[in-house]
Amino acid sequence: MTQVVLAVVLGAMFAVGTFLLLRRDVVRVVWGVTIISQATNVYLVTMGGLTGSVPVLGHGGHVDPSTVTDPLVQALVLTAIVIGFGTTAFALVLTYRVYEEHGTIDLRELGEEEVEL
Amino acid sequence: MDLVVAPLLVALFAAVATLALRSRLRLQRAVSVLGSLAYGATVVALAMAVAADADGYIVYQLSSWRAPFGISFVADPLSVFMLGLTAVVTLAALVFAVRSVNDVGQRLSFHPLYHLMVVGITGSFLTGDVFNLFVWFEVMLMSSYVLVVFYSGPEQTRAALHYAFLNLVGSAVMLLAIGGLYATTGTLNMADMARRLANAGQFNVDLAAVLGLSAMLLSVFALKSGIVPFQFWVPDAYRAAPSPVTAVLAGVVKKVGIYAIVRLYFTIFAAAELPRAVFGIEGSFLAFFAPILFAMAVGSIVVGGVGAMNRSDLDGLLAYSSIGQVGFIVLPLALAAAAPADSALRVLGVTAALIYSVNHGLAKGLLFLVSGAVEKTLGTVTFDYLGGISEREPVLAGSFFVGALALIGIPPLSGFFGKLLVFDAAVEAESALALAVALGGAILTIAYLSLAWNRGFWGAPSPGVEESSVDSLFVVVAVALAVSIVVLGIGFEPLYAAAERAARVGTDTGAYVDAVLRSGGGGA
Repeated sequence: MTQVVLAVVLGAMFAVGTFLLLRRDVVRVVWGVTIISQATNVYLVTMGGLTGSVPVLGHGGHVDPSTVTDPLVQALVLTAIVIGFGTTAFALVLTYRVYEEHGTIDLRELGEEEVEL
Repeated sequence: MDLVVAPLLVALFAAVATLALRSRLRLQRAVSVLGSLAYGATVVALAMAVAADADGYIVYQLSSWRAPFGISFVADPLSVFMLGLTAVVTLAALVFAVRSVNDVGQRLSFHPLYHLMVVGITGSFLTGDVFNLFVWFEVMLMSSYVLVVFYSGPEQTRAALHYAFLNLVGSAVMLLAIGGLYATTGTLNMADMARRLANAGQFNVDLAAVLGLSAMLLSVFALKSGIVPFQFWVPDAYRAAPSPVTAVLAGVVKKVGIYAIVRLYFTIFAAAELPRAVFGIEGSFLAFFAPILFAMAVGSIVVGGVGAMNRSDLDGLLAYSSIGQVGFIVLPLALAAAAPADSALRVLGVTAALIYSVNHGLAKGLLFLVSGAVEKTLGTVTFDYLGGISEREPVLAGSFFVGALALIGIPPLSGFFGKLLVFDAAVEAESALALAVALGGAILTIAYLSLAWNRGFWGAPSPGVEESSVDSLFVVVAVALAVSIVVLGIGFEPLYAAAERAARVGTDTGAYVDAVLRSGGGGA
């Protein structure tokens, strides 16, 4: 059941992300990229399989390894999230810089400027 | 054994040291150049260790966690070959940057970012783990985003915006493909993945899913290498970045994508057999990718060549040219992919691609640096304002000429052998189409480079050129690169031997798997 819900959520997130990515407003494009990369993270967790229990073996307690959820994907997602923070911060700074340089964050107006040059 | 990560640590140390020393201008630059020299020295040491090793593989298991559980770093002739190119181009560009990048920029951020980019490049060449490859790509790209926007003018922010968003989406796609590969193969270690793909039934791997995911991954690598149809970000980004950065972007960062294609597709995915005929193609995964790579190569050669003819400035011309030249690298790869495993043609194709990579790295690095020197001196590289540089600056113009001849492929320069091997591979593959495309591309190369030479360097000096004088350090760097191109061309034998060994290793899945999976992790 969890997988079905997650699959639907993933689809919705990618759709929203792609929709925003194709907007003219740079800030929305940043949102689009962020949502797509978050969707990717959710996808990574889903790929690890969600059938088992938490991957903690406790103090001296013995758990059958086959019933535990894969902990590796959690580590991967953690890394990907950290990288995502960095890139999002950069994208936002860049957006601000674009506004300073061009006086607009409308991608179509940015494009027109080039034609005039 | 720890020698494997030494280049990585040296570059990281240089990045941190230059950041710490940013208030001491001269010391910072000295440390930066010394760091780059030390990087070159560790690469040489690593190359010698790899050459001395009987198998040619030096594996370092991080924290002694043995593969496939830990993260492996693998130095083999292929990665060492690419590291050698990196060391030469980054050193030349760095020396150039010490004089060409303004003081404020250098003090604030140039040197740390530059070395971090080198860290990312080095890590991508050395890692033996797919997810780790993603992380190193991010390290490399993150620094390159900032370096593209370095001068923060209107043109730079626009170019960086495109470059950054495109690569962010590329990274998301790469992560999707890697996550999918982990879910289907159950491993992230490249060697372990190759082993599982070779015995798909035993390890319960769904090869059809892997094929789709590996195709997805190819689009990401094509984006990083600027291969058609993913080339559109190249001209803007290359024009916007400071010229030493452009030299590294075109000379080395593009080759990271090429390396990833060779490593993942020729070493890892080559182990898998197609579960059934796809579009009438049977055999290994490589056979499936061969026509795709071929179409990409043809597209790159045509788009790059024709685009370069239509540019009115030197930078733009060189940027388009680098799209076309990458096509020349991918073309023999496509022919090698179509060839049966263990055939001479497969090794020949990869060898040709590697040698062409070195030639393009050195020659295009040189040309971009000369273009940077011209821009620094005259303030423009539009052909309308240039002319007669050869009269005013014969040495600089001479170096440009050598670089141009190397790209065209005139003996005895290194470019001649690169071109020769590409043609050789086309003849061996008995592909008339490949031969025709390579010939057409070669003619286009001659055409646009003579255009650049005639309009920029030949004839009577323009008013701007008349009064200019180029900084002597720029000339020294350009001459050094030009000499290296001539030396590599005349003493071609060692380069060929190294490239051939790298190609053999790059196409030998079994040896790679054995070396990585059997290597003990010390305490483990």
